[in-house]
Amino acid sequence: MWFAGATDPAGVCSPGRVTSLPVRNNKPFVHVAMIAIALGALAGIVAYFGDWLPAPASREAGRIWFIFWISTIVSIVIFAIVIAAILYSVVKFRKQPDDDTDGPPIHGHTRLEIIWTVIPTIIVLLLSVASAIVLHKDSNAGTNPLKVEVIAQQYAWAFKYPSGLQTGVLRVPLKRHVELHITALDVLHSFWVPDFAQKQDAVPGQTFRLVITPTRLGTYPVICTELCGLGHSVMRTAAVVMPAAEFDTWLADQDAKLAGPPGEAGKTVFANNGCAACHTLKAAGAKGAVGPSLDKLPAAAAAAGLPLADYIRESIVEPNKVIAKGYPANVMPATFGQLPKAQLDGLVVYLAASVKGGS
Amino acid sequence: MVVADAQHHDVHQAPQHQGPSGLGWLMAPGYLRVLWTVPMMFGVGVGIMALIRWLEGWGPIWQGSIVTTLSLITIPLGFLGGIGAFDFWLRYAIGRPTEVDDHRSHGAKDWRGYFKVNTDHKVIGVQYVGTTVVFFLIGGLMAMIFRAELAQPGTQLVDTQTFNGLISVHAALMIFLFIVPVFAGLGNYVIPLMIGAPDMAFPKLNALSFWLLPMGGIMMTASFLVPGGAFATGWTSYPPLADHQPLGQVFFNMGVQWAGASSIMTALNFLVTIITMRAPGMTFWRMPLLVWANFTTSLLVVFATPFIAGAQFFVAFDRVMHTHFFDPAHGGYPIGYQHIFWFYSHPAVYIMILPGFGIISEILSVMSRKPIFGYRLMAMSLMGILVLGFSVWAHHMFVAGMAGWLRVPIMISTMLIAVPTGIKVFSWLATIWEGKIHFTTPMLFALGFLSMFLIGGLSGIYLGSVALDIHASDTYFIVAHIHYVLFGGSVFTIFAGIYYWFPKMTGRMYNERLGKLHFWLTFLAFNATFFPMHWIGLHGMPRRVADYAPEYGTWNLLISIASFALGASTLVFLYNMINSWIRGPKAGANPWNALTLEWLVSSPPPLFNFDEIPTVVGHPYEYGVKGARHAVLNGGAVHAPDEVAVH
Repeated sequence: MWFAGATDPAGVCSPGRVTSLPVRNNKPFVHVAMIAIALGALAGIVAYFGDWLPAPASREAGRIWFIFWISTIVSIVIFAIVIAAILYSVVKFRKQPDDDTDGPPIHGHTRLEIIWTVIPTIIVLLLSVASAIVLHKDSNAGTNPLKVEVIAQQYAWAFKYPSGLQTGVLRVPLKRHVELHITALDVLHSFWVPDFAQKQDAVPGQTFRLVITPTRLGTYPVICTELCGLGHSVMRTAAVVMPAAEFDTWLADQDAKLAGPPGEAGKTVFANNGCAACHTLKAAGAKGAVGPSLDKLPAAAAAAGLPLADYIRESIVEPNKVIAKGYPANVMPATFGQLPKAQLDGLVVYLAASVKGGS
Repeated sequence: MVVADAQHHDVHQAPQHQGPSGLGWLMAPGYLRVLWTVPMMFGVGVGIMALIRWLEGWGPIWQGSIVTTLSLITIPLGFLGGIGAFDFWLRYAIGRPTEVDDHRSHGAKDWRGYFKVNTDHKVIGVQYVGTTVVFFLIGGLMAMIFRAELAQPGTQLVDTQTFNGLISVHAALMIFLFIVPVFAGLGNYVIPLMIGAPDMAFPKLNALSFWLLPMGGIMMTASFLVPGGAFATGWTSYPPLADHQPLGQVFFNMGVQWAGASSIMTALNFLVTIITMRAPGMTFWRMPLLVWANFTTSLLVVFATPFIAGAQFFVAFDRVMHTHFFDPAHGGYPIGYQHIFWFYSHPAVYIMILPGFGIISEILSVMSRKPIFGYRLMAMSLMGILVLGFSVWAHHMFVAGMAGWLRVPIMISTMLIAVPTGIKVFSWLATIWEGKIHFTTPMLFALGFLSMFLIGGLSGIYLGSVALDIHASDTYFIVAHIHYVLFGGSVFTIFAGIYYWFPKMTGRMYNERLGKLHFWLTFLAFNATFFPMHWIGLHGMPRRVADYAPEYGTWNLLISIASFALGASTLVFLYNMINSWIRGPKAGANPWNALTLEWLVSSPPPLFNFDEIPTVVGHPYEYGVKGARHAVLNGGAVHAPDEVAVH
């Protein structure tokens, strides 16, 4: 036997080891089983009726919730048995006030020890197999996925579609595999949409894929889950699941706008990348106050001694080169520098046209 | 009954030394000498740096960040030299005659003895526990501050950098300055007594190990004072963020070195002590499980700790010397850091729980008046955890972008580690089954540990499962899990151990009623604080955020209130400890009627533990076995301090 020393009927190594438990009757075990059933039922009710998980919004989340529930069932059973045994012992085996004797000298029980080694091994191996199958399925993007690049940077997300369109909000079609290609520009970040249940760290210099197959229309939070610095807790955006046809129309419309005159294209770029969240621009009705007002760009360009268009481009690509008075450095993400050239050109033209004569 | 023989010990005591005269005061080891050794070592460090920069033509020659980084090595060295931690070896190294060891630095005559370099393992044990409890309180206060900030969404109390600093220093102190070293402290006190040894194998190294520890702790705490604030990258300190953070970051990188060196030295000392200094008859299969647990833990520490030291040096080199180990812009590999870091930090979770397992085994057996169930399988499951513990590090990296093929094998080894842990839990249950349970405070904490660690272990099954971990990692579910295993697990065992050996260490009994109050307050507040975190984590709240979605406001408010109650429960513990130490009733040699060797000697034990080395003749847990003895004394006098053996 592999733990040969444990069985020692001769009593040389561990005197008094018994080979069978002195079970006088089954009553204690029946009582423990009853307490365990009660505890299990209670825990089951908490687990079932508690609002533990977001409703799945992707096929992957559905499979992961399945793993969650089988793990929960296994956990509740183990929890109930162990706690029941503790509670029973606490009540039944409490020392009586005038009793100073010792308990029965039971040193072990070989069959029991084998049982509680083998059964947990089987359980955890089965859980591993189930999890491995789900992992495999969740990594399968099918034959024709929509590929979207995800670019993370302190403290913003950018999403780039195959046509080159870049946006600050992730839009995905319903019931189609979406293969995200995730990377970062500066430090580690992590892409997570709780409702999709999928997560992947974004690592500078490397690209990792993550598959999402949305199954429910709606808008869900995109959350950074890897501590990335000061703005970590606000590094959020949204993921929008659209009907497939609507998504195709949206994409075609965006591409058409970007292919249009630079000013029109720039307006689209401005809207897609969330510029209005931080900046004020009268022409676009933007009222953000986190960063300097864009309507004051001509004056800033003059102060920097640069032509307006050149100054705008520099401020997007290298946001820390000139810092507007009263605003801290390192706030404006450099993700916008990753815009394809045509979109960046368009944005510069649009901004320059919008602010001329503004101040 | 063996009582300390005062006359006998005077033989060991040094003759009264004449105090040094004149300038000799400045040369004698002590805090006065620190006054000049620290500036001297600071000067030496800065001088070498300036010389190198000048010779290489690097400008500017004086750069604050480099001076600071270097000083985090030289100033502690100056301090340690000043108080006399190196005296013996320095004399030896420079060829001066080493002093005959007159045990001058052994044992504490009064409270001042605890603030000096002391070679007595019992003094060092108390120094360790005292120091680590101080850092436990500091770390706990930080938790109170950031829980206050998190009570409502938005920013109210502290700015984001301070918040990130608070969570980072909280975790670093709790791990490196409390849980890991407090076990080294309890082990230091108890192990030599338990195996029948007069002290540790290397008492001078033991003294040095202790004094390295506060260096790391003060460094991490003091990082709040430097420009830019404390290190704010979590206790994991992942680059590239850590490469580009303000100066406070190096206080973590260097603080870990001091705590880590302390840990390694103590582990080596434990190993040599346990292997070579067991009393006659104390075979490995007759060692108490606490000794087994510390033996296993020490192996983990010795193999694993150099990895985190390396990881932190690399980050420091990236910052100071522009080595770009982890800077992808220059060909570095950020995920490489995580592999090295977790190759220590996963085994570290076993370093933080196995000694607790040992404590629980002692207490459950003694307080149930029954032998430990399945002793050999209990010892072997510790070894099983040791071996498997080195094959699971990457389960912290399932979403990090490591090699995809590695995920399933690591999941399987992670899941398998539940098996030896399960063996321990079931064997503990079988130990208390049909026992005569004495509901003392240590027993309450032991049972509390059993139930709380069970929950932590079960949530570990969720996290070990790759598919589910992808959803749950880096959320509050992780925060809940780690606190169930490290607080409900390790800290409960620490409280249990402190109450259990308090009479041995101080010679006095703690107040049982306050002890029970402490347990119930802690148990209830702990669950109210950490259980809801499972919930909000799965639902969508990431960890390490200064601000969160308003939908989690109610839960966070509740968690914060419960956490303040948890903090307040510690005050009951502190009051009980301090008050009982000063005026508690005298405890006898063996208040628990236990069989292990530390209860053979007086409380507190004599200077060199045993007046005569006992001979071990049987197992340590033979409660209820007629005529069984764990040890007899050489003189032939049979020890019978407890009724148990006489039955």
